[in-house]
Amino acid sequence: MIIAKNALPGLLDKLVAEYEVYAPVKQGTYSLYKQICNGAEADFGYVNSKIPPKGILFPQSEKLYSYSVTGEGTNLEECIDNRKKVVFGIRPCDVKGLLLMDNVFNNDKFQDPYYLTRRANTILVGMACNNPAGTCFCTSMGSGPFDQSGLDLMLADVGEAYVVEALSQKGKDLVAELALGAADSTQKDAAARAKEAAEVTCVVNTEGLKAKLDVNFYDSIWEKFHEKCLGCAACTYSCPTCHCFDIVDEAKDCNGCRVRNWDSCMFPLFTLHGSGHNPRTSGKERMRQRIMHKFKYFVDNFNAPACVGCGRCIKNCPVNLDVREILADIRGSEARSDK
Amino acid sequence: MQRNPYLPLPMKLVKNFTETEDKLIHTFTFQFLSEEDEKSFPYMPGQFAEICVFGKGEAPFGIASSPTEPGFLKFSVAKVGLVSTALHMMEEGTMVGIRGPLGNYYPLEQLKGKNIVIIGGGFAFTTLRSMITYMLKPEHRGDYGKLTVIYGARNPGLLLYKEELEEWNGRSDIDLVCTIDRPVDGWTGRVGFVPTVTKEVAPSSENSVAIICGPPVMIKFTMPELEACGFKPDQIIMSLENRMKCGIGMCGRCNVGNKYVCKDGPVFTKAELNQLPNEY
Amino acid sequence: MQKLASAIQDVAKKLLEENKVDLVVGFAGGSLPLRSTPCFIRNSEEAAKLTWDYSCENNLANYLRKREGKVAVVAKGCDVRSIVALIGENQINRDNLYIIGIPCSGMVDRLKVDEAVEGKDLLAAEEKADALVLKCKGFEKEVKLDELMHDTCKVCRYGNPVVYDMIIGDAVPARPEDNFADVAAFEALSPADRKAALAAEFSKCIRCYACRNACPMCYCTECFVDCSSPEWVKKSTDVTDNIMFQAGRVFHSAGRCADCGACDRACPMGINLRGMTRKMVKEVKDLFGHETGVSLEEKPALSTFTADDPEPFLVKE
Repeated sequence: MIIAKNALPGLLDKLVAEYEVYAPVKQGTYSLYKQICNGAEADFGYVNSKIPPKGILFPQSEKLYSYSVTGEGTNLEECIDNRKKVVFGIRPCDVKGLLLMDNVFNNDKFQDPYYLTRRANTILVGMACNNPAGTCFCTSMGSGPFDQSGLDLMLADVGEAYVVEALSQKGKDLVAELALGAADSTQKDAAARAKEAAEVTCVVNTEGLKAKLDVNFYDSIWEKFHEKCLGCAACTYSCPTCHCFDIVDEAKDCNGCRVRNWDSCMFPLFTLHGSGHNPRTSGKERMRQRIMHKFKYFVDNFNAPACVGCGRCIKNCPVNLDVREILADIRGSEARSDK
Repeated sequence: MQRNPYLPLPMKLVKNFTETEDKLIHTFTFQFLSEEDEKSFPYMPGQFAEICVFGKGEAPFGIASSPTEPGFLKFSVAKVGLVSTALHMMEEGTMVGIRGPLGNYYPLEQLKGKNIVIIGGGFAFTTLRSMITYMLKPEHRGDYGKLTVIYGARNPGLLLYKEELEEWNGRSDIDLVCTIDRPVDGWTGRVGFVPTVTKEVAPSSENSVAIICGPPVMIKFTMPELEACGFKPDQIIMSLENRMKCGIGMCGRCNVGNKYVCKDGPVFTKAELNQLPNEY
Repeated sequence: MQKLASAIQDVAKKLLEENKVDLVVGFAGGSLPLRSTPCFIRNSEEAAKLTWDYSCENNLANYLRKREGKVAVVAKGCDVRSIVALIGENQINRDNLYIIGIPCSGMVDRLKVDEAVEGKDLLAAEEKADALVLKCKGFEKEVKLDELMHDTCKVCRYGNPVVYDMIIGDAVPARPEDNFADVAAFEALSPADRKAALAAEFSKCIRCYACRNACPMCYCTECFVDCSSPEWVKKSTDVTDNIMFQAGRVFHSAGRCADCGACDRACPMGINLRGMTRKMVKEVKDLFGHETGVSLEEKPALSTFTADDPEPFLVKE
């Protein structure tokens, strides 16, 4: 199927009438996924957004339920968002991030209705990457600029138009709803050529990385990685797979709501016990936790690293702490395994 | 989809009991509002729940009551922060929310036919009370062999569940050894730290399982004594604590290595813990 | 700039070889073009890692608080002002710090570089006399350094370190007096317009606290945003709470902020934090005639009291 670029705003308008539509929007020098009211707001002149679109399914601040306690009893009201959504122009790496987060919010014992309801009601329309950035290393993390995993539709930019491929029943239904025309063979060829030409220049070799992490918890290599780290949450909030959160009450006396907010393992208070004991007392332990969680624990539990190679943590870190350098150091090190 | 795991069950506080002499630990009894509510909360000794104080927040606490005690849940809470302080000041009759049961439980099936050695220190005795109460029930007692309990606190006033301790002392099917750190007037029982008393009691590791719950320093020094008695890592069971929020393995906070204390624990064998990093 | 880098390397090597210091805090080349990264050198062989160019933007004073042993730091003029302020607060022992002062005419603003190349990948940046040639795939663009300089640097009058143990490089020319035109423009707005302007900026805030953690003066063991009893500010990204967090931080830095711009540069969302910090800097200057960290002898403005301190909050009948 084909969508002419000059027809896209009109098409988005059609979607806006029926769905909450999220698309990349320019904000100063960068792009963010925002809900649009009309098709003209969307701007597809981006490599990727500053922070990932995970906030559409897992908002930074979200009401879980509201409560009021009266003489008659306790009234709890769940706040589950089941409105239909379309994320238009999501990159394959960010979709991979959602696929990884699915493991977290639907684990072997529990299901998170907030994330899963939104997830089930969201159509993911992907935009393949013709020009990956120099900090992108998605191909090293099980994704790629034209990777179709998890997408309902995939768009490929062929100059004047986007070649569209339906990848799921949801995608097929949407294509039918929008009554898209067929692409001709020149356009399809152009899409194939764009896929060939899309080059991810940064390669992160992860061979042997997991094996090192399996044994190097007590190694002195962890002394050096954290020294320049500020301990802020720029990397975690920029990451498509980071899912840590805090739960707090916002209330006046007995009326209020329970809210969840993003949190970060890089903050000292994250693991502080009520007794004052903190298993991770310094940046060293917290940096080790971040790397271990992403490249060992998540692999242990779900057979995939919790990293999609989007490169945002590298770009957004105020001190240019580069995860690729840490991984290379770990791979190249002699690990000591004794406690 | 199953029930929303973030929604608490409303329960009523029926007893706010000052458990220790220094008043820092209270035991709370919460009543189920209906039989249906109670059925929706099937729990086993070792599990915990998040007590939700509306307007303040939530915090996780081990369940001290046993499922063999119907109609209510019991928790013992130390006053350390926002939620625990609000609980301590709570008037009987107040409504709270209880989210649970959460976590895994003591492997009572695997413990059948074995001799059980329970070692507790300070106010970590909560879920141990649950298990002992469960085991002592006539319909369960026969499933288990010898039951030895070593329970230590700094002084007599800090021992939890004094009523239960007295009752257990009088029974012949449980060997209870209470101890305090230093001699105190009026105390005729043992004196000595839990590790020392463990060494003195020297429980046999033959067909036995040890369950140990207590502050890190107690565990650190008691573990070698158990090992000296011949207990292997898969014969030692521990219940861990960690800072928690969601209690269901999603917020990422309570992990020890690749396990979440809230979802994969809090009960672990020493053998399982040996596979995990020492970060708890 | 390469000459400066070599000189820094030599000095660091010597200081370590002669055991004058245990640690040199400086900059190493970053993993991206036109980026540097803080580095910690503990033996003379590693001194070769040290570098200096227009991307050495971080305030290294942030890494000097409460250190054991003797430390050397490669410091720009603004970094030295923060160091002086920290010495005044007993966070740094002057006797254990060796300041390698580098006169600085300014560091580039990463956001301006990004804008200049329209968001494309920067592959390299070549230094010319007063410009940088920004090289991307398929094109290159020469931009005057003036246009890429961070706004903080454009009004900085303390490019020459006010305190140092040695200076590497030529003194930089003095800049005209800072007229705080940017602050005056904000002050000219009506309260409603100010509120709208702040809300527009702080709706971008993701509460990552990069600003707070990058600031050398923010070192409280428990920051007010983390306090739960009482809960001064909510943890959600409500725009009012975002503004209150930053306002609280700025007030806590009153008389201590050296206007180094580290917070502004650290912010991943490009929020104009200097709008708030500079307003406070101007207030302190107007009220107390004080500029932070320009002299070791001067005490922090809000920690001292003189009989003729202005009292604009008193309302006289």
